Amino acid sequence: MAEVKKSVESDNAEDILTKIENKSLKIESLIKQYKFIEAIKTALEGYPPRDERCKSANWIGVHKALMAIKDVEGMLRSLDPQYYDILMKYIYRGLSTGNRTTCDQCLKIHEKLTEKAGFGCILRSLADTVNTV
Amino acid sequence: MASTLRLYLTCIRNTLEAAMCLQNFPCQEVERHNKPEVELKTSPELLLNPVLICRNEAEKCLIETSINSLRISLKVKQADELENILAKKFLRFLSMRAEAFQVLRRKPVQGYDISFLITNYHCEELQKQKLIDFIVQFMEMHSLKYFRRT
Repeated sequence: MAEVKKSVESDNAEDILTKIENKSLKIESLIKQYKFIEAIKTALEGYPPRDERCKSANWIGVHKALMAIKDVEGMLRSLDPQYYDILMKYIYRGLSTGNRTTCDQCLKIHEKLTEKAGFGCILRSLADTVNTV
Repeated sequence: MASTLRLYLTCIRNTLEAAMCLQNFPCQEVERHNKPEVELKTSPELLLNPVLICRNEAEKCLIETSINSLRISLKVKQADELENILAKKFLRFLSMRAEAFQVLRRKPVQGYDISFLITNYHCEELQKQKLIDFIVQFMEMHSLKYFRRT
């Protein structure tokens, strides 16, 4: 039973990769149209994938959307609270990259997001060892 | 430049406030033993996700939490070789007197300049807010380089 599930998952990885690539293209087009809030919503939607390659592919899309944001306050105001936790996980992933511009942007968003969502958001991103990004 | 430092320290302060939720947890393997789980890493269910906060390529802070202990490792930026040697000597001086600081670790974690180990006993004896203030002030002091003579 577990073997059948595993083979189904590896088939799905290819499907998930194609879905993520389509999502990436959609995010890029939204950024070009200056619709930053829709771009970040598209990027954060969907369950974080299990496979490492899918996670990296997903991160590239989210990274593009995060770097394009200029007005952090406005973005957070219009974002649904259900996306706060997953956004916090992606911010920590961004902070661990070490790239100066990414870290600058992620630090700005982290401060505003903590003010809005509170310490519980940080703790949920630390404690969730199952759904990592 | 100063604004990124402020943001970096705010981020670390917020993460520490959230992560410093420690409770007493006796060792599961050996009876009547009580060990900091973050150092041993024997049981994955007792550990939280480690978090790496980078300010730029050279400065970073690694925060690892577990159920009864929290480890903070810092890497600070050195402008040139001389500063590198001075900072190394200064931090070694502090690390050797780690018992006086209580929360300092005698040896820094591999790849970092200095490490702190905070256990549930420290949280019981000392105030959590003051512990966080101490660590953030330590980083501020390092970044502003009070001990530089230039």
